[in-house]
Amino acid sequence: MKTLRRFLSPLLILALVLGSVSVSAAPLPASELVSTQAAISAERADADRERINEILSRAEVQDQLVAQGVDLAEVEARVAALSDEEAREMAEQLDQLPAGASVVGALVLIFLVLLVTDILGLTNVFPFTR
Amino acid sequence: MQGRFQPACKNARLAGVLLLCLWLAGCASTPQLAETTKQAIPRQATIEDVPFHSQRDYQCGPASLAMVLNHGEVDVSMESLIPQVFIPGREGSVQPEMLATVRRHGRIPFVLDNSFDALLTEIAAGHPVVVMQNLSLPTWPMWHYAVAIGYDLDAEEMTLHSGEEAERIESFRRFDATWARSERWAFIALPPGELPSGVGEQRALQAIAGYEGVQGAEATLPAWEAFVERFPDSGMGYFALGNARYAAGEAADAIEAFQSAVERRDDLGAAWLNLGLLLQARGEDGEARRALSRAAEMPGPWQEKATQALAQR
Repeated sequence: MKTLRRFLSPLLILALVLGSVSVSAAPLPASELVSTQAAISAERADADRERINEILSRAEVQDQLVAQGVDLAEVEARVAALSDEEAREMAEQLDQLPAGASVVGALVLIFLVLLVTDILGLTNVFPFTR
Repeated sequence: MQGRFQPACKNARLAGVLLLCLWLAGCASTPQLAETTKQAIPRQATIEDVPFHSQRDYQCGPASLAMVLNHGEVDVSMESLIPQVFIPGREGSVQPEMLATVRRHGRIPFVLDNSFDALLTEIAAGHPVVVMQNLSLPTWPMWHYAVAIGYDLDAEEMTLHSGEEAERIESFRRFDATWARSERWAFIALPPGELPSGVGEQRALQAIAGYEGVQGAEATLPAWEAFVERFPDSGMGYFALGNARYAAGEAADAIEAFQSAVERRDDLGAAWLNLGLLLQARGEDGEARRALSRAAEMPGPWQEKATQALAQR
């Protein structure tokens, strides 16, 4: 990932720079309007840096999901459905994000503590304590 | 040496755990509702027609999604949702992807504002709510998604489709203790054109813009129409409406929306620019020049484009 990033970063910066150059060189058709997403992100500071981070984030999320066993055929569509903010959040802390799964590694001490907290009505691990 | 210290360590740990339990017991209490919420919602409410899907293994995420999507008349099976949201390596599903999957199926996910009031208000409005709970303690988390479908203020009980149990009854106190550990994370899935009852302007704007980024401006048009009806002072709302109308081929209505946008926010350069470009394309040069000049005056990302458009005539 590190090496990929090293290659990808300058390429992306170059692509974005070239992108803006060609925009200023060729006259735009009048119909090409500013999109809502562009206007909203421009209201925030550092719009350009954010754009670079975003593209990197999405690539990184794809890699991470594949490493976590997500099907290759699915991964692109999954990442495309994330909003920019969510893609960033996933890239930065996928490992820390809670994953809803409902299992717990229960050792004896943990079992006893959770049994007590279940009876106190603080937790809901064991179905028989209600 | 080590052998001597170990038992003491153990005792200290046990004492710590017991203290923690007492402390937690002191903290957990029945959640309180604001007076205004109590006035606004009925004493009991249950959404009757939410289909139940029993979870298999760790699939509480796909199961919860299938329930709210099916209730919203999206025809999708739990089996087809599993490869879209489940992460095998984590043996679970994460929050951002829960929202993303809702978008893929043509519904807008609105995250609620982390309050018990918002949760009950949405249930009363007939919207089943996906909630994230930690059924265990913070140290040994057991994260879980369920769908809240009802409440009873007098009995102080929630009704949830949860895990392998349909219409499970949970006391407010126990439910809130487990829900609070996810910082009371919850969302509803609505078709474009509907908004949550108590949603704030920024929250709604971000949710709809996120949907538009995935499904495109034309598909989002009804959502922006509903947004400006709810928040008539939002310049950004009218700007987005203009773009969506233009994408749907309604150029004249788009111009009207951009005009409403700049009336509300004179500093919105992007709206002046889009207004100018559309007027220019229709040959209304005088008006177009006025709008483009206004956009060209403002320093920012649209200045250059506006200056070019001005130079074309």
